[in-house]
Amino acid sequence: MLYVAMFHWGWLLGALLLGFVAGWISVVQRGGVSRVTARWLTALMAVLVVAAVVRVVPGRAGYWLDLGLVMFALYLLGCTIGSCLRGWVVSRQRVAA
Amino acid sequence: MQRFFRWSTRWWPGVIFLAILWAFAAWSTTAPLEADLVAQSTAALKNIVLDKSQIEVDGRDVTFAANAFSEQERLNAVAAVEAVPGVRLVNDDTRLVPEAKPFVWTAERDVVRVTLGGSAPLPATRNKLLDAAHADLKGVEVADQMNLARGAPDNFESAALVLIGQIGKLKTGKITLSDNKVSLTGMARDLGGREAIWDGLKNLPQGYSVASNDIEAPPYIFQAYKDPVAVTLTLSGNVPDEKVRAALVAAATRKFFEKVVDKLKVSLGAPSGFSAAVVPALGALSRLSTGTLVVSDRELKLSGDALYEAAAVQIRAGLGKDFPQGWAFKPEISVKPAAAPVDATVCQQLFSDILSKGKIHFEHGRATIDPDSAGLLDRLIETALRCPTATIEVAGHTDADGDDASNQSLSEKRAQAVVGYLVKAGLPADRFTATGYGSTQPVASNDTDEGKAQNRRIEFLVR
Repeated sequence: MLYVAMFHWGWLLGALLLGFVAGWISVVQRGGVSRVTARWLTALMAVLVVAAVVRVVPGRAGYWLDLGLVMFALYLLGCTIGSCLRGWVVSRQRVAA
Repeated sequence: MQRFFRWSTRWWPGVIFLAILWAFAAWSTTAPLEADLVAQSTAALKNIVLDKSQIEVDGRDVTFAANAFSEQERLNAVAAVEAVPGVRLVNDDTRLVPEAKPFVWTAERDVVRVTLGGSAPLPATRNKLLDAAHADLKGVEVADQMNLARGAPDNFESAALVLIGQIGKLKTGKITLSDNKVSLTGMARDLGGREAIWDGLKNLPQGYSVASNDIEAPPYIFQAYKDPVAVTLTLSGNVPDEKVRAALVAAATRKFFEKVVDKLKVSLGAPSGFSAAVVPALGALSRLSTGTLVVSDRELKLSGDALYEAAAVQIRAGLGKDFPQGWAFKPEISVKPAAAPVDATVCQQLFSDILSKGKIHFEHGRATIDPDSAGLLDRLIETALRCPTATIEVAGHTDADGDDASNQSLSEKRAQAVVGYLVKAGLPADRFTATGYGSTQPVASNDTDEGKAQNRRIEFLVR
């Protein structure tokens, strides 16, 4: 993983920033996926992670799966940071108002 | 926490862009990543000796095929590729180099090239053998048909290098090393090449031996040609050394009264018993009026014309008897047509001419005719046959050494020995009288060795 991170740091940084933007926007956005859909999506991700860990997908597809999961993990990290930061900014503005 | 979960349900729109980003990343990085892993894996195997090493990378999975020279090296090679950063899986297609039993290596030479074949234990050894062949055989094409195999005997490389040193001495042929046994077949390049190869094989490492050596050499040729017109005896071809050369020239000088022309050259590779066969053959040649002696390896061919029938029979029957073992004698002796009869005066002139060119020699102090005088005696017999009506006195003379009685006796016995020789050759005994004069009729001073030698003589006097 360290090798993948070092080899693709530009793309991973992009995923992190994208996640940060998505997380930043999500605080003031309306709507969202339903709880059931979220569970399905979580289960799907779990399956993909298991597939990557047990290295069941061969060759290039296996590499692309690893790359996608790493980028997705960083996207989620970016989303978390973005959302938390925006949530903190919004709460400060409310206190000030 | 509640708020965080609510936010997270709205993160999905970014996933669409993430998917696009991922697709770009996958498209642009796959080939460079695979190339990088190939380069790193190859570098990791740099210090491990392998044959037919092949690395293919699909994503981060490496398919590694190679032939290793030991199980430990095979495991080390697989571990080295597995340890390359970024490699996810290694598909292990490695195996051990096949074992050759017996371990056979060959070096074959034809007219234009040398082909190294069979098995070599390591790539480095194979390259070393090829380099040695190129260095030893400058200008000759060296073809490599060697396979790598396990199971080489100890000191294989040293032994193969010794054998490569010998291949240059062959014109055509094959050297085979099977485990630690060497077999050789073919034709040596030069006279003496066979012996040179035997010498070279003495450098084989301990434990190696020669199972068979069927190297042949070009025939070892010696020739002697007696030319009655130029009155020469020409010796040509090969002799084993200077000593034999001197001995042959000395023997020819004794046996022939023709001028000896020495065109011999010293070469190795003479068959054993060379001198013992050639010296008597020169004696037989001296009895021919014209003839050629050709020695090819152990075959001796004498062709030409004997001076009379009995001489031809004696030469045909006599020469092969005393030859060293393994020698073959092929006489092609015909008889010179008899010359026209002459009267007594001419006959005497012919005897005097012959005896002025050479002398009949005897063993020291005895009445036994020296075999070297056979040629001269044949000429005297031929002349005697041309004057069938003449009566001939064979006169023996000695030098003045010793007492008169014994000189008288010796001169008589020697004269009788010559008459006996003539009668044995088929001449009628009643035509000859043997007379001994002792030292009473010297033709030179008895004070010098040279003078004494002239006084010791046999004369033919036509009465």
